[in-house]
Amino acid sequence: MKRVIVACGSGVATSQMVSSKLKNLLQKRGIPAQVDAVDIKSLDRHIKNCDVYVSITKPDKEYPVTVCSGIPFLTGVGMDAELEKIIQALK
Amino acid sequence: MEVLKNAIQFVLDLGAPVFVPLIMIIVGLIVRMKLRDAFSSALTLGLAFIGMNMVVGFMMDSISPAAQEFVKNSGINLNAIDGGWTPMSTLAWAWPLAFLMFPVQILINLLMLALKQTNTLNVDLWNVWGKIFTAVLVIGVSGNIPLAFLIAAIQVVLELKMGDVNQKQIQKLTQIRGVTCTHGMTLFNVFLYPINRLLDYIPFFNKHIDANWLKQKLGIFAENHVMGFIIGVLIGTFAQYPPQKILILGVQAAAALTLFPMVARLFMEALAPLSDSISDYMKRKYSDRQLYIGLDWPFMAGCNELWVAMIIWVPITLLWAVILPGNNILPFGGIINLSLAVPALIVTGGNLLRMIVLGVLTTPVFLYVATFFAPTITNLAKDTHVINVKDGQFLSWSSIELPDFRYLFAQASNIVHGEFLGLVLAIGWLGLFYWYYKGMQKRADQLSTELDGTSHHMSV
Repeated sequence: MKRVIVACGSGVATSQMVSSKLKNLLQKRGIPAQVDAVDIKSLDRHIKNCDVYVSITKPDKEYPVTVCSGIPFLTGVGMDAELEKIIQALK
Repeated sequence: MEVLKNAIQFVLDLGAPVFVPLIMIIVGLIVRMKLRDAFSSALTLGLAFIGMNMVVGFMMDSISPAAQEFVKNSGINLNAIDGGWTPMSTLAWAWPLAFLMFPVQILINLLMLALKQTNTLNVDLWNVWGKIFTAVLVIGVSGNIPLAFLIAAIQVVLELKMGDVNQKQIQKLTQIRGVTCTHGMTLFNVFLYPINRLLDYIPFFNKHIDANWLKQKLGIFAENHVMGFIIGVLIGTFAQYPPQKILILGVQAAAALTLFPMVARLFMEALAPLSDSISDYMKRKYSDRQLYIGLDWPFMAGCNELWVAMIIWVPITLLWAVILPGNNILPFGGIINLSLAVPALIVTGGNLLRMIVLGVLTTPVFLYVATFFAPTITNLAKDTHVINVKDGQFLSWSSIELPDFRYLFAQASNIVHGEFLGLVLAIGWLGLFYWYYKGMQKRADQLSTELDGTSHHMSV
């Protein structure tokens, strides 16, 4: 199963919020994927075994996987477009 | 009436791991969650309490003996153990009236939007716990429940005002449009601002240091397990443990710091569907008006200055803890001081040099306020029975968020016992808040001319 990681400053609140929401949205669309909230301080370790990285911040460097923004899932603005991007990357 | 009272008492006597989930099911059904989902969320919430009690107990059992040895050998009295923020949120949710804080925050926000007193919609319902925590601290100090709600309500108002006035500066730092930070920790900006203004007079402090390179080099120290191991080894060394015991303590401390967020995540997992449906409702209500969306701080986590400053402060915090007269707290779980770094980032506009100086100067405020609240927090743990603290041990939080506000306003609530000093100081603080607000408004005006036309960044 493909894996999505969502990172925030502690791996507790914001990332968990976004990952719960994403899990629900993917489930509704019938797309199997594992979604995990992780601690951004340990991002370099997690990025090695994931397919999509959902970032709450503006990424400051290139990553070997698809990077999407988690902000739309918090504000609701542009959420569908970002979800589509994640789904494409999971196919 | 008597029957109802007995029934409520009966439920409360079951303890937070049972009664908070029961409240959660009721609240979940009110916001139209399916019974199955509500039950699952509620059960997760209950087991999060149990999990947190286990981890805090483990931390206290491994760190406390070392701390006591250290006290015996050095004569320095550090008898309050720092659990960081996660056990504090556990204590907050265990308050029987905790869930009432949701409507308090939502109604104040909607009212202020309607009256055009704010332009910020706070959708961060997780950090409702920050207001709950303020309320329980106030009750711990003065025992007055109405004042606890009033002070929490003031915090809600000020957070929204902070969201408004800091938005441009935050946009400049993160390059993310339309969002701002409504986390209560930003109220510490008020305390940092005057010092930052003083630094304006020293040209040296206008120098910009590139934090990216330092972050690459230092980043590993910020990882929970590495930081835990280092602090554990340090505490063991100062306790004059034999080498094997030092290493064991190091790994135990690493385990504690790694497990805290794992358990705390369960609280969020349980509350996410609830807070999601509330924030969806609020966003729908105001979909036609251009508002700043108020979020928790992590969207600023890409600013490397935060991490570099926090790592540099770690040894300084430990040093302050040892040399400050009257400090009782041994920094551990809260040693990475976000509650200072985020305000310092905003106030200085990301000037690392200034951030470091502000941190060095104001860390004592955190330690003293943590010391002041240690008995309150320990009693809270004992009264609610959600976290077991053995006799003679104290629990606190070395990097307590918005320490200035919480200390002064908790003291102000002592007005019910005829003490006026706290109230006077709290009013003085509000004066500083006003000064900060005016100053940041001016900065926002300057920044908005500069930021206009930078739409090529993230499409938010």
